[in-house]
Amino acid sequence: MRTATACASARRDSGVEAEKRIWKCGICKIELVMKKTVFSYLGHNVSHEVPTCPKCGKIFIPEGLAEGKMAEVEQQLEDK
Amino acid sequence: MNLEEATAYTARCFHGEPASCSFACPFHLDIRSFLEKAAKGKWAVAYKALRNATLFPAIVSALCEQPCRAHCQRTLLGDEALAIREIESACLRYARNRKPESYTIPPKDKCVAIVGAGIAGLSCALNLAQKKFSVTVFEKESGWGGALRSHPRFADFDADIALQFSVLKVEFCYGREIKALNELSEFDAVFVASGAGGNSLGLLQSWERKLLTTSVPRVFMGGTLCGAGLMESIVQGTEASMNIEVFLQTGKAARTYGRSEENNCERCLSHEGTASLPRVEASDPNGYTEEEAKREASRCLLCDCDKCLVSCEMLKSFRKVPHKIAVEVFNDMGTNPPFSIRTLTREVYSCNICGYCKSVCPEQVDMGALLQFSRAARMGSGSYPAALHDFWLREMDFASSEGSFSSAPKGKGTCDYAFYPGCQLGASKPEHVLKSYDLLTEKYGSGIILGCCGAPAYWAGDEARLRANIEKTRQAWNGMGRPTLVFACATCKSLFNVFLPEIKGVSLYELLADTHGILPTRAFPEAAVFDPCAARDDKGMQAGVRELAGKAGIALEELREPNRCCGYGGHMRIANPALYDEITHHRAEASEKPYIVYCANCREVFASKGKQCAHILDMVFGLDAGCQVPSLQDKRDNSLIVKKEMMKKILGVEFKPESHEWDELTLAVNNELLKSMEKKLISTADLKEAIWLAENSGDRFYDESDGMYVCSMVKPVITYWVQYKQTAPKTYQVFSAYCHRMRFSKEG
Repeated sequence: MRTATACASARRDSGVEAEKRIWKCGICKIELVMKKTVFSYLGHNVSHEVPTCPKCGKIFIPEGLAEGKMAEVEQQLEDK
Repeated sequence: MNLEEATAYTARCFHGEPASCSFACPFHLDIRSFLEKAAKGKWAVAYKALRNATLFPAIVSALCEQPCRAHCQRTLLGDEALAIREIESACLRYARNRKPESYTIPPKDKCVAIVGAGIAGLSCALNLAQKKFSVTVFEKESGWGGALRSHPRFADFDADIALQFSVLKVEFCYGREIKALNELSEFDAVFVASGAGGNSLGLLQSWERKLLTTSVPRVFMGGTLCGAGLMESIVQGTEASMNIEVFLQTGKAARTYGRSEENNCERCLSHEGTASLPRVEASDPNGYTEEEAKREASRCLLCDCDKCLVSCEMLKSFRKVPHKIAVEVFNDMGTNPPFSIRTLTREVYSCNICGYCKSVCPEQVDMGALLQFSRAARMGSGSYPAALHDFWLREMDFASSEGSFSSAPKGKGTCDYAFYPGCQLGASKPEHVLKSYDLLTEKYGSGIILGCCGAPAYWAGDEARLRANIEKTRQAWNGMGRPTLVFACATCKSLFNVFLPEIKGVSLYELLADTHGILPTRAFPEAAVFDPCAARDDKGMQAGVRELAGKAGIALEELREPNRCCGYGGHMRIANPALYDEITHHRAEASEKPYIVYCANCREVFASKGKQCAHILDMVFGLDAGCQVPSLQDKRDNSLIVKKEMMKKILGVEFKPESHEWDELTLAVNNELLKSMEKKLISTADLKEAIWLAENSGDRFYDESDGMYVCSMVKPVITYWVQYKQTAPKTYQVFSAYCHRMRFSKEG
């Protein structure tokens, strides 16, 4: 139910499309890699691949994921 | 929690109960459903319903005295009752396949004797033969029909009886009069229905109507022999067959079928607004044509109560009837995911708890109270989705701590009146509180209590938090000499009525209306008053607002559906944003005229929808009624402005709000992004905190190509993310802000 397009113009203003960005960890200074991560909510666990720092393991959740698939799964788990 | 606790909320709901016509029908035919099928020309299924209820549809449609017509609710509109007999006759004509159904079930080893092949005996025989009992009918005459044999239309009735028995095996012994019970000693049960004045085998004196029993346990009796009319004889034949079946299975007669003796929809339905429709006259003296019958059947009002279901957007969208919701509320408390899942979460948290369902229900069934009960039960058991109410609970904590303040007027320890504006009035527009306070102090020597009434905790189902908040208010009130509270917010007033009944309260608007010398400005020449849902039972508050608007010379329109929730109630916005949008849209469209409102939340909802509206206090104090929607941050800042001003006025001290290191950051957020953040309930203070933490720890991600950063901040329930660039020292431009509820952890 949450809109994933609400910030479209803000994304455009930043000049680089979200999908094309290359994120690096601010502490380890290395590029993030896709890694399987376990998400938990209301006693349920699900796993998904997300950008992760290969060194310190810090996880980045992109906006599209948070407001798309994640929001959808959150709602499904709330309804269970 | 037990089932009764949940179902008690909907016990008086009579949705789905028999219509008054069915209630009056000796056969309890579901006439509503029969006519609905007939109106669609579904004659075969309509016939099946008629046949299953009456057994002999041709006889019943010709001879029934139609007590249903006296209870037809069309008559309440001044119309003639539905022509049920004519529609039934049409059904017999137009139903193509009238052959009775036969079921393949194993024959039973019990045999039953029926004494008399009149309508009662035939009814009993037909029912028992359908269940594959061995049935023998003894009749002293030479054929079936009993008293009907002398009826001028007996040929039709004879055909009907023959049709109904056509697929059954029943032995008819004609010309055989049973004179004594010992003639039937080989039978396991006997039904005596020898007709009016017939031989009762000496058992009539011992006949008992309830179970149709006699002093001999295996002998049952009924029909015109016992004084029944023709239709009742058919019913008694059916009842006897059921009682005999139980007797043959258990050795004891008992009633296994139930019938509601009290409830039918007649007592409650008003059919207000339903158009009158005259009876369809048959063009042919032999009866309706198919089209005429369909048209006449379509006059049926299909009486059933669905007032709450058609009135409330939430109930309408989930399409569940009250009884089902009550059962699901109970079931949801016993679920054990993943083995069983809840079925009602979204409904529970999508309700505005506005009481509108109760106000339209003829029996005052309050679905909101049931769902509120569910919220409290789920909070108590720890099975509630915290994210749906987290934001408002945090706002409540703020309003009850940093934003709270209470004092008698300057220089006084106690007071007779204290203004209780509620947390939203000042947050929405500080002048509403400040100017009201000045006036109340001048005219009534009023003190003030700033804080939150606890509605967010109430709506979240968090009773412990609510009680603690209420206790805090009680202490402040006691400390001021137990003054009468002057309420600006209908929600605070109604909540205190329940949880702080010892506090005497009056609405600000009543008091202002009674105060000499107040002349409100005329915001609009014409307007509609949008009464908040919480003021539904507060006639004084409603009258006060109307009087003030009247003094301003505004021509007022009353809304067709008063006291509907603007959408804010129950804090359902996060649980169901689409429904929230639908509800707010409907409310904004309820009148073309601008609204006069007296609830800060209503005002903000309508302002956000672009609906022209003015708070009654804008008019009282001659303020600009412009529809500016304060941001989440503005609202917190406004609350602190009110507190600061109050402390300065009353105590002469300068209030210094709690400061944070991130307060000094400056953020540039474009309007579109700000709007989207407001929708997601993300405030700029959250972003400042997240950026400040990231900048100081280096715990963030960056994109070298353009110096973009993204960081997160994990709060107890929600995780916030912000994407930003630094544009100057301590100054940042924000490009996106979002949040999620899931937690994540690293995996191996």
